Amino acid sequence: MSAVSDVHEVRLRVNGVERVAHAPARRLLSDFIRYDLGLTGTHVGCEHGVCGACTILLGGEPVRSCLMFAVQADGAEIETIEGLASGPDDLHPVQQAFWEHHGLQCGFCTPGMVLTAKALLEHNPDPTEADVRKAIAGNICRCTGYVFIVDAIRAAAGIGRERDGA
Amino acid sequence: MPEGVAPRLLGARVKRREDPRFLTGRARFVDDIVKPQMLHAAFVRSSLAHAEIAAVDAARALTLPGVRAALTGADAARSAKPITCDSTFDSWQGTEYPALATERVLFVGQPIACVVAEDRYLAEDAVELVEVRYRELTPVTSIKDATAPGAPRLHSHWKDNYFIKRHLRAGDPDAAFARAAGVVELTTVSNRHSGIPLENRGCVAEFDADQTLTLWTSSQIPHLVRTGLADVLALPESNIRVVAPDVGGGFGIKAHLFPEEIAVCLLAMKTGQPVKWIEDRSEHLLASIHAREHHHQVKLAYAEDGELLALSGRIDVDCGAYSVYPFTATMDTGMALGILPGPYRIRNYECEAYSVATNKCPLGPYRGVSRPAAAFTIERAVDEVAHALGMDPVEVRRRNLVAPEEFPYESITGLVYDSGSFVESLDKLLADSRYEELRRQQQAARAEGRFLGLGIAMYTEQTAHTTTEFAKRGVPIIFGYDSAIVRMDPSGRVNVRVSTHSHGQGHETTMAQIVADSLTLPLDHVRVTFGDTDSTPYGHGTFASRSAVLAGGACARAAETIRGLLIRFAAERLEAAEADLELAQGSVRVKGSPAIGVTISELARLAHHRPETLPDGMEPLLEAVSTYDADPGTGTFANAAQLAFIEVDIETGGIKLLGYWVVEDCGQMINPLIVDGQVHGGVAQGIGGALMEELVYDEDGQLRTTTFMDYLLPGATDIPRIEVSHLSTPSPFTIAGIKGMGEGGAIAPGPAIASALVDALGPLGHAVVDELPLTRERVRRFIEAARADGKAHA
Amino acid sequence: MKPPAFRYLRATSVDECLAAMSEHGDDAKILAGGQSLVPLMNLRLARPSWVVDVNHVPGLDYIEVEGDVLRVGAMTRHRDLAASDVVARACPLLAQAAAMIGYPAIRNRGTIGGSLAHADPAAELPCVACATDAEIVVAGRDGERIIFADEFFTGYFETALAPAELLVEVRFPTTRAGESWQFREFTRKSGDFAVAAAGVGLALADGLVTRARIALGGVADRPVRATAAEERLAGGPLEGPDIAAAAALVADVADSGSQDADAVELASVLTRRALEAAAAELRGAS
Repeated sequence: MSAVSDVHEVRLRVNGVERVAHAPARRLLSDFIRYDLGLTGTHVGCEHGVCGACTILLGGEPVRSCLMFAVQADGAEIETIEGLASGPDDLHPVQQAFWEHHGLQCGFCTPGMVLTAKALLEHNPDPTEADVRKAIAGNICRCTGYVFIVDAIRAAAGIGRERDGA
Repeated sequence: MPEGVAPRLLGARVKRREDPRFLTGRARFVDDIVKPQMLHAAFVRSSLAHAEIAAVDAARALTLPGVRAALTGADAARSAKPITCDSTFDSWQGTEYPALATERVLFVGQPIACVVAEDRYLAEDAVELVEVRYRELTPVTSIKDATAPGAPRLHSHWKDNYFIKRHLRAGDPDAAFARAAGVVELTTVSNRHSGIPLENRGCVAEFDADQTLTLWTSSQIPHLVRTGLADVLALPESNIRVVAPDVGGGFGIKAHLFPEEIAVCLLAMKTGQPVKWIEDRSEHLLASIHAREHHHQVKLAYAEDGELLALSGRIDVDCGAYSVYPFTATMDTGMALGILPGPYRIRNYECEAYSVATNKCPLGPYRGVSRPAAAFTIERAVDEVAHALGMDPVEVRRRNLVAPEEFPYESITGLVYDSGSFVESLDKLLADSRYEELRRQQQAARAEGRFLGLGIAMYTEQTAHTTTEFAKRGVPIIFGYDSAIVRMDPSGRVNVRVSTHSHGQGHETTMAQIVADSLTLPLDHVRVTFGDTDSTPYGHGTFASRSAVLAGGACARAAETIRGLLIRFAAERLEAAEADLELAQGSVRVKGSPAIGVTISELARLAHHRPETLPDGMEPLLEAVSTYDADPGTGTFANAAQLAFIEVDIETGGIKLLGYWVVEDCGQMINPLIVDGQVHGGVAQGIGGALMEELVYDEDGQLRTTTFMDYLLPGATDIPRIEVSHLSTPSPFTIAGIKGMGEGGAIAPGPAIASALVDALGPLGHAVVDELPLTRERVRRFIEAARADGKAHA
Repeated sequence: MKPPAFRYLRATSVDECLAAMSEHGDDAKILAGGQSLVPLMNLRLARPSWVVDVNHVPGLDYIEVEGDVLRVGAMTRHRDLAASDVVARACPLLAQAAAMIGYPAIRNRGTIGGSLAHADPAAELPCVACATDAEIVVAGRDGERIIFADEFFTGYFETALAPAELLVEVRFPTTRAGESWQFREFTRKSGDFAVAAAGVGLALADGLVTRARIALGGVADRPVRATAAEERLAGGPLEGPDIAAAAALVADVADSGSQDADAVELASVLTRRALEAAAAELRGAS
């Protein structure tokens, strides 16, 4: 640890589990999640808040973890991609839909994209195509051209309804 | 495909086997690799475009707590040769691209020194404390400046600033121009941009006690990186292991050996600890690989009836400061020279092509390479012919597209278009897009004072070219094949290891489809791996739309060998003739008597555990390694036609995409879902390059676009729904008639959108849209040009 | 790109924040939403020695109408402004503009206080503050003071905030019947920073303009009011030629700071469109 900046205890709930680690003030939340918490599913693409690869859910809402310092998350509740499912038989409807609709290619944007979609569907269970595109406009994908991602998210809305027996 | 085997999976829309780990955040990208005692690297990079380095002093940096070591150019030069990659052409002038600059820097962002520390934060602090003194030299920042008489030479042993000069002449262009009814003269500029994968470059190097160097690196070409490292580090290749883990997009950018990779290896060797370097986005924009900066001047001669008679021109590619490994600085230039006539029957041709050196980041291949620029030029020129003659651009195309009965067609540049559906794809595009309906919408909008436009662009794309083609191109390593090992284990399941590297293309699924079909196994009994030079056969990696054909072909051949072994063994066990046996549903059985057979899993068990049961002369194990070079090695040509439907806001210059249609033909598809995904992604990148992506240097050679605030990427509200339909004209040359197609989507959006803009401005007049990307400022310029012309056209 | 080292203080009251700002002066920066500050720090363009986090200061996150004033706490997130029915009714320009800021993830964290204090001349909320004659409430060691929007923005990313002051509230006059407010911006791609923006408010009575407000973003070093255009409209009818004339006058915008001719031309187009939309809304309502 650097002698220049102070070190803070960061205590937070991650995917429902309480975690504690220490970090200097300047440690970005994205790096904290990846290195200090060992959750490497959250990815880093730009570190200036444009690409969305680092998206996590803070209090259920998508935020760019590269634009927060770890210390800001002390006392917070966050969700990362690792919290959605624990294996191929237990996928969240969004993950299931992305799989069926080929909504990913290299997979680097996928965690951020999936979490953003999850939050969207919790607010808006039946989004139009335009709603979906607006919701994910801040998540860059270089591989898919977004076509199958949009299909997947709309399909996920349907899968969600099916599972809920609606 | 083997005879008598009806494919179940070839051509099937199967969901991808690799997805679960990506969906659940359990993939393993290079930054996810953590090793004990690992140090983190950061680079000191040149702040000037052209300068001599007077001094580099890392003393202050090394005093920071947590900073472990530093490497300067002088240090690196003691242990590593610079990267060289030389063409075999006569006019070639080569470069030496050092891991860390020694005497001179030739572009802003070029690595000068490297520091390692306990974390990246500290390493960046240390970088700020490294002092570099420069003696500034005049930067050369454009083709015009580089080729002007008396221009400063970037490389002191060169006689000018040209990497290479090419010239091709075929047919009788002079006579053709002489008899032409008219000549379109066009100058086009495709501005610099790049692939911008979402995952930046990065690597982890470890040098262990056995003197083995392991490099994990986000790369498309692990074997070639290994070969390159062996050369520059003077280490035996067998002492080097390169592992490309999951890679977050490449698009050609990560198909290079980088100076940073070498520096990181040297630091691992120096410190005795693993060293990780993950570049940040500014480094990526400054110093990875740039692409697509082409300046073309062409003349297209035409007859009264729209027949294209001759094409002449000059191609200049701004290749930046160094020749890149493994492609050389000739790749864009040579390819443009060969493909400029496009899918058209042009029989008279003369063209000069130049790779020019400038004080910019080196240029390398990016999805489509020079085809986006070449298609932009020929498609715009063809449209201008149509305009000059008052003909429909669709009609001019129809007259000149290579027709079905002409395949295989040898182009005037010596490329063999093996098969294609040029005319059919154009017709289908008009039908699928409901072209007449779009024209009606355009008319209705015009009545309301809105400017909608339609534009069509077409291309044919050389894919899976191998020995013959690369030998012609004069590259030092001929990418003539790729390879596969198919290994059946004692349980009868199969592991396939390929020399290519998937970074989004779904090879864990597509290669498994091929092998599973051949061995009549369920898809999930076949596991595909790649990326580790220790366990995969040597090959070239994934680029140039080659993997489906070449890795697919190698997989098919290796699987065929295993089939042969299984049949031979079964013949012995069943006391039948091999010719009477077939594979079906995981068994080898007698044709016509399906009850008489033995399961593959049983054969596999016996072959490993009961060798005494094997036929005489047959060895235990069921493993085969094959390579594949698709004869005749000149590649197989995919093609597509694309249509862009746009609205232009003529007051602001903003362009909105209302719709996009593609008809593509890649012969036999392995997995249509994956093909569609590749088309969508390519088109989206093409749209980015057509509308907003540009790497801008100022006259001092400073890059203005060093973050995503300035280098804009299209998001989900910028890309419309992309409708894709397919034709299938199999290749007569490749296994199963498969053609490559990964790059194609990116080729046509530039010309399609440019054409749509011209069409949209029709009521104002005619504008010659000759530059990309179509930023607001450029669109306003073209609007003014249309108004100045003032001759409204329908 | 990692930020340089700094010390972090999580303020739990306005006083604590002010004390820290007082002590550290120019070396300290307030961290609100972080959507503008943290990129600058990651790029090492901003290098504060102290970062004072105000996200946990209670009592700064509210949206209330009090009489004819909409009071918005400085820590109100853009997302809440965009989603609020109260804001939509009381200050529609604010609701429209907030919805156009960046992307959802940006709006989830970005705050009105942060946006105004950051003072990007092309940003949406400074333009809105200017158009609506907002009052900015600032807390200092000696108590609170009010700064009017047209005095708050003093230059390129500069405000009238003193080093040891904290923006705590923004007050907007509530919209009255017979008014229409329209916000328009131009971006190079959707969700991007605005190249130019126009925030427009019109009131009509008996077919004549009783009030015209036009504020522009991106044309100078701060948001500016297009007073000549406003005067052209005031007291007159709201026909096509009047709107066109007003939009043309936008080109003669206030002379503070440098002007980007291209942005001014865009602003003129956006102004005309906003005025046309306002006129249409007013006609539709009558």
